[in-house]
Order: sequence, then structure tokens, then C-alpha cells
Amino acid sequence: MQEPTFLILTALAAGAQHGYGIMTDVTRISDGRVRLRAGTLYAALDRLKADGLVTGDREEVVDGRLRRYYRITDAGTAELAAEVRRLRANAAAAASRLGLAGGPA
Amino acid sequence: MSGPRPERRRSRMERRYRRLLALYPKDHRREHAEEMVGVLLAADGDAPVRAPNPAAWARRLGQHTADSADLIGGALRIRGRVVLDRIRRTRWLSWTVRDRRWSDALAVVSVIAPLLLLVAALTEFRIPQAVANSITGHPHWGVSATLGLADLPMAAGAPGVALLVFLGLRRLAGLGALATAIGQIAAGAVPAFAGYADPAVAFTVLLSCTAAVALLFSPGPDRGLALLTRGGTALVGAGALILGGFSVGGDVWFGPMDDRAPRFDDFGGKVAGLPADLLIAAVLITAAAACLRAPVSRRVLALLAIPVIPYAFLWQEKLAVDLFVQPGGGTAVIPSSIPMLYLPPLLLASLILTGTWLGRRRAGERDRQVGSATSGPRSAMSA
Repeated sequence: MQEPTFLILTALAAGAQHGYGIMTDVTRISDGRVRLRAGTLYAALDRLKADGLVTGDREEVVDGRLRRYYRITDAGTAELAAEVRRLRANAAAAASRLGLAGGPA
Repeated sequence: MSGPRPERRRSRMERRYRRLLALYPKDHRREHAEEMVGVLLAADGDAPVRAPNPAAWARRLGQHTADSADLIGGALRIRGRVVLDRIRRTRWLSWTVRDRRWSDALAVVSVIAPLLLLVAALTEFRIPQAVANSITGHPHWGVSATLGLADLPMAAGAPGVALLVFLGLRRLAGLGALATAIGQIAAGAVPAFAGYADPAVAFTVLLSCTAAVALLFSPGPDRGLALLTRGGTALVGAGALILGGFSVGGDVWFGPMDDRAPRFDDFGGKVAGLPADLLIAAVLITAAAACLRAPVSRRVLALLAIPVIPYAFLWQEKLAVDLFVQPGGGTAVIPSSIPMLYLPPLLLASLILTGTWLGRRRAGERDRQVGSATSGPRSAMSA
């Protein structure tokens, strides 16, 4: 799973969000390291929707502008959980070999 | 004075973003364009209205350029995905012969032809011996002949096609068989490789073509195996194994009992002076035909006769030499040549095609006649 995809799913794991909300949340989650732009975000959302990992939730109009909310599906949650397990296992293995504290218990 | 300037700037930015959004597919634009413009303007709204200094102005310009490039990249990614989805959804090479009896016959041929091709390659190039020799190093498995460049299409193609059939990749196997045929023709056309005016080469070239047609234009080996039934499949498989095995290792098992170590080249894949391929093909085709219903078995025989015909010339050569020619020299009545080897099989293939086309036309006319006979009174009543 690519990092933007992982971060978008992570942003939506807490609840439905609109496009701009996802962008700012991803920046927050990644500690400012990843700044999603609209082109990347909507290409990723388009693919995630096609794969059934994300779906449209509701729409509202704010200041004359359309806002569409997206939410993670059950399949998306499962995919994200699997990716978290994979990353955690990899991180634990790396930490253990480096002799870092916080390696596998 | 500061009121209209942000508005002007916003509408200028909006026009610019909309121009870039025109790069997106229409469906995507219809669903997301408004929302994306909103997001882009919201992100832009976070920046101060007026850049306080040249460095901030340059930073903002960089942001806008990056946003534009990102929009273009997003459009390309989405368009690329749409094209890929369309390719994946397209059932490529999905033409099958409409006539049920011919499509069934081709399905059976799609089992037999790749099997024959594999056996022909194994016997011709002594692949099992070469493998056994490389593993054991025993002189019993010595093979003096080595593979030449001209042999590669068949030596690599035939096992490849058989593997693809085994993996259930029918269309790829069909393309592989086609590539095997083209490779053999190309290799044979190079003068250094002595041409393909040889019945054994004509057999494998035409067998590859027959296998390609059968694999590409029939429901495939699964249907063929179902038609052959378990008993027929076992019979054909056992025939290939026993005869192929005999042809591969016959001289070692039943070869000359003199002092010298038997070598496979002595046997040369021949049975009673004729190529083992021919005997194996004859036995497998007969076994398959015996297991099928008449309309299908007749068609299987017709289709598999196409690659076997060139061997008739070899037989006639052998007969001519035996009957008319003094020992030590002479030529056959009709010597092997490319037209003599390839034209009769092509004629048979054309006859099959013409026959099926005429049959379809006759069936179409019959249907039209039946249709007009049944619709006639109805139209008269409605009038």
C-alpha cells in the first residue's frame, strides 16, 4: 500500500471527512511530512472507490461550494488493519535487529 | 479597496483550475469538478491574500505550479486507469467458431495438437536424454546431436505451449503455438538452416498452426477433455506416454546388442523406417476419434489430417526408393518441395473453411425460409 493511500484511509478511519478535511488531516497525521494535493487526493479516492475501500457518505453546500464526504468501508478497514499489522511486524523486526528499545515484547 | 482584489484573484484561480480540470475524463469531471475546485480554492485560501515579500511570492508561485502539475498528474493517472480497466474488461481474442460440431472438434484438437507437439519436440530433440545425460553423465544417455539456432522455436515453443495449456492459459498457449509456427518458418527460411522442405518440419509447422487455431478459436482444452471423457483422455495420454517413451528411448531398451554403447541418434525417432511422430500422431488421432461421436470425430480427423499430409510425401519417397531405385542412389518420383509439402494441407484447410462457410449459408437460408413461412400468415392477418 502506498503511503498516500495509507494516510487517506487512516484519516477516514476516525470518521467521514470531505476532500479538504482529508488533506489537512493527512498533513496532521504525517506531522507535516506529507502534503496531499487535490490531483493526488482525487486520483487516490477514485481508485479507492473503485476498489470498494472508500465510499461517498453525504454532500453539503458551504459558501456556495459543494462538499462531498467520504467514509471508509468495512473492506477498507480490513485492508488498513492488515497493513498496520504488516508495518508493525516489519518495524518490530527492524527494531529488534537494531537492538532498539520497543522491539518485540 | 482590498475587497474586490481577493475576489478577482479567486475567480482567476478558479478559471485556471477549471481549465486544468478539463483534462480529466468527462464522468470524473461531472462527479468531482465542483468539489475539486472547492478544495483547491480552500487550500489556496489558507495563503495570505498578498504576498508580503518576493520570497513569499515565489513560494506561492511554486505552490500554484505544483498544484497545476499535480492536477495534470492526477488526470493522467485516472485516464490511465480508465484505459487499463477497459483493456481488462475486453475479452481479448474471444472469437470462437459458431458451429457447435466444429467448435467441439477444435476443442478436442486443442488437447491433441499441443500433446503431439510436445511429444514431437521431445523425440526430435531428444530432450529427455539430454536432461538425463546432464544429470547422470552416464554414457547410456549420450546425445551427439546438439541443438542449433533453427531448432530453438520448436525446442522451446512446444514445451512452452504444453505448459500454458496445462496452466489453463488457452489464449496465451494459442499465441505461443502461433509464435512457434512463425519461428520455425523464419528459421527454415534462412538458407543456412537448410530450409523447411522437409516433411518432419512441415509436420511440426502445420501442427503448430493447427494447435494455434484450435486454442484461439475453440472453447479450449477443458471442453476437449470433457468430450474425450475420462476413458478417452486416459487412452490418448497412455498412447502418448508409451509411444513417446518408445520413440525417445527405444534404441536403449530394445536397441542393438552389440559391443558399442547404443546412442539415441542411431534410432533417430523412427519406427519401421518412418518418423515416430507419424506413428504417434496416427495412434493418438485414432484413439481420440474412436472416443467421440461421429460428427465430431470426422471433423477431428479432418483437422488433424492437415499436419499429417506432408508425411504422405515421405512415404511415397520411401516407396519409390524401395520399388524403383537401385541400391545406392536415386530420387523419389515426386521429390519433397515446399509447394508439394505445404499446398495440399492448405488446400484441405481451405476446403474445411469453404465447407463450413457454405454450411452456415445454407443453414441461414433455411432459417430465413422457415421464418418467412411462419411470419407470412401472421402479417397477412395483421394486414
